[in-house]
Amino acid sequence: MAGAGAVVVAGSGCGRVKDDVTDLRRWIGKPTAPPLAATLTPPSAKEIDAVSHVVNRLTFGARPGDHARVAAMGVDAFIEEQLAPQEMKDWICERVIRHEFDTLADPEGTLFPRKADESDPLQQLFPAMKDRGARVGHLYEFKDKVLLDELTRATVLRAVLSERQLYEVMVQFWSDHFNIDPSKAEAKWLKAADDRDVIRAHALGNFREMLRASAVSPAMLWYLDGRVNRRVKPEDKPNENYARELLELHTLGVHGGYTQQDVMEVARCLTGWTVRDRKKFFRGRVEFRKFEHDDGAKRVLGVEIPAGGGARDLDRVLEIVVAHPSTAQHVAEKLCRRFIADDPPAAAVAVTAAAFAQSGGDIPTTLRALFATAEFRAPEVRGGKFKRPFHFVVSALRATNAETDAAKPVVDYLVRMGHAPFRYTTPDGYPEAASHWQSSLLWRWNFASALAANGIKGTNVEADKLRERLGGDEGLMATVLGRRASDDERAAYQESGAGLALLLASPAFQHC
Amino acid sequence: MPPPQAVISGNGDERRTLVVIFLRGAADGLALVPPVTDDHYYRARPRLGIAAKDAVKLDDRFALHPKLRALESAWGDGDLAIVHACGTEDQTRSHFEAQDLMEHGGVVAGGWLGRYLRTRPVESRGALACVAVGKALPECLLGAPAVTVMQSLEEFSIAGRTPAFGSQLERLYAMQRGQLGAAARDTFEALVRIEAMRTTTYQPGNGASYGRDEFAGGLSQVARLIKADVGLEAASIDLPGWDSHFAQQGQVEGLAGRLADGLAAFRRDLGARMATTTVVVMTEFGRTVEENSAFGTDHGRGSALWVMGGGVRGGKVHGAWRGLAPENLERRGVLEGYGDLPVLNNYRNVLASVLTRQGATAQGLAEVFPEFALEPLGLFGA
Repeated sequence: MAGAGAVVVAGSGCGRVKDDVTDLRRWIGKPTAPPLAATLTPPSAKEIDAVSHVVNRLTFGARPGDHARVAAMGVDAFIEEQLAPQEMKDWICERVIRHEFDTLADPEGTLFPRKADESDPLQQLFPAMKDRGARVGHLYEFKDKVLLDELTRATVLRAVLSERQLYEVMVQFWSDHFNIDPSKAEAKWLKAADDRDVIRAHALGNFREMLRASAVSPAMLWYLDGRVNRRVKPEDKPNENYARELLELHTLGVHGGYTQQDVMEVARCLTGWTVRDRKKFFRGRVEFRKFEHDDGAKRVLGVEIPAGGGARDLDRVLEIVVAHPSTAQHVAEKLCRRFIADDPPAAAVAVTAAAFAQSGGDIPTTLRALFATAEFRAPEVRGGKFKRPFHFVVSALRATNAETDAAKPVVDYLVRMGHAPFRYTTPDGYPEAASHWQSSLLWRWNFASALAANGIKGTNVEADKLRERLGGDEGLMATVLGRRASDDERAAYQESGAGLALLLASPAFQHC
Repeated sequence: MPPPQAVISGNGDERRTLVVIFLRGAADGLALVPPVTDDHYYRARPRLGIAAKDAVKLDDRFALHPKLRALESAWGDGDLAIVHACGTEDQTRSHFEAQDLMEHGGVVAGGWLGRYLRTRPVESRGALACVAVGKALPECLLGAPAVTVMQSLEEFSIAGRTPAFGSQLERLYAMQRGQLGAAARDTFEALVRIEAMRTTTYQPGNGASYGRDEFAGGLSQVARLIKADVGLEAASIDLPGWDSHFAQQGQVEGLAGRLADGLAAFRRDLGARMATTTVVVMTEFGRTVEENSAFGTDHGRGSALWVMGGGVRGGKVHGAWRGLAPENLERRGVLEGYGDLPVLNNYRNVLASVLTRQGATAQGLAEVFPEFALEPLGLFGA
């Protein structure tokens, strides 16, 4: 996982894009199969050990050699490394993303505006911070299908390739939390900016800032109708769609103690925030229209918001909801469900919620507290989470060191399993619990079969070479499973006639 | 057909199939089944109200949305019943809470349809007893003993599966307990059964012609399974996209057209088999009586629920109705001027009537809808 090699300094101008791709391909042989580490010692324990567990939960699956690397550095150091993605080098992933995707690597900087020092990892990770909201309108120049396709592929590729695994896991977590289905109206162009400026900009940053960015995200203003939430005439009623989901899904949670009246009052606070549509100049630009704002006094969750607040009402509302204890509880519960168990242990939720509240919504601090709980580290929870389909597919690609373009053939499998990125219609995001996903077995088996037999166009696995590098069948089985194979697994592996496919399709590999 | 049903189901009973269609996003019952003789309706919806002259008259109170005209013959034949002012007791007006409550059948684990299928005799169960058309399992089918999620029969096989691979996979999954083990067994079983059907192409009956949209395609798959006698007891399909907060007219028209055309084709295709096939169309809640400033409607309470086929007492709007006079509406907060169509008919009382027709016992119904005093509507029989 460690990013080896030097950061390549890029030039500027359109011509270099092609040169760099050629360069990269020559340098590592293939566009998207990063080199394996020198030491690939497979796990040797009979059960999933602490190392495999932490790798399982913080990443989208172990690549060959990950167990050895994390064992050598220690799980706590690994957690710290993953909590500070800005300190990590990730040049292979970054370069592939930049050079494979026009929409994400537009030299004009449409989606990844790169200014000043490119070797600054902070800028690589959070480029949008430097140029927030700039040129969102340029997205309209792409066909919406191209945007969805590239965003989907980039999401899969980043999950497969990035060294910043926990960051990618959190990107997915927040993409679900602040879910937007881009198929709605102009969100089909604007979701790409939401992904950059809201989700990826803050995935391991601060919750409050992410929420603020989401509230004024052009795609969100379209998706949840904030765009048309206005009061021009006294009889106009606010559109409550966003206000409701803000309370129910993004912050307090449905039983978080708000009333229908609070929903209406929050909606009133947010009247006037809108986004210019594509028929207007400066399309995609978010603005506050004072004359569409209900500037009367409001009362949200028992707190008075005096009349005349104007645009400041938004920040006042977000302050109130973020500080509400139900928000810490709600976010902590979801995090613990993702990282510990579908039925999250109350003690761990309490610790996580406290860390969230005390740190003012600092996400690394919150996660650090979660990962330190006895519940997270308990042997009983190891291997007990059922992977969601995206996690399953990516972990199979990682375990086999597959080279993939993450194009339609791969994404089609995700669609069949009901878990392709950016295709969940409702704002609650893809569910986490296992019960929602068990009907996807057939397509998991199909994917396992096809991947191991190199039957997926654009994706390639060198199974024999991999087995050899891992010291034979035992090493391959232990690397894929994260522990030594059981007697039954060993027998099934040998008798199936398709050992690698069987491992990937096996019950153990569906779990993490 | 030869009697494969006997082989599959283990009994020779005439099998009844229940098809559940969920209109996700809260369909506007007041646009689909407008109370066109109620002046309050047009007062609350000066721009969005469906004019009586455009609508399909049902009785002296209600009409159908013009885009639902394809269902006029089902209504006229007495094969389509409507329950208005129908919904759940959920007050959150949250799509997810209301859908969950409705699909779970209460604050209870698993879904109402899943639990109902569990009350059925074990010997009649098969992997194809229940099919969810779509990409994911709907909440109403959580806990079903056997459910197959699929978009099309054609896709149902394991690529490059050899007997050795299949049997070794079965060996590992056989050791799995709980839901995953059951899900795996269902999958293996369904694979074998559908394999036999995949080899033929489908001709709808009675000259029926399905649209090219996903919803119509899904319905044709269900019709095919019903007619193939593979033992289908329940099927579910979603028609999403009804959350019409903004400029709803075009949105509702498009969806209503797909709904009506799909149902009409399905009914025609099944012909006489509609007598043993019951279709239920439901949605999580209705929308505000009053239109909003953006030519849309917001989250409300009561909506319309529909039952077609299966011997329903159709051509009739069942259940309580009090009209849209402000004093008969449900208040939501001091800010709201108008109020919502109240839920006068709990959805469980509709489903209970349907499930009784399917063969559920009183004890079975108590398991399906626990902690609720059922008063089933008399939708069937004399």
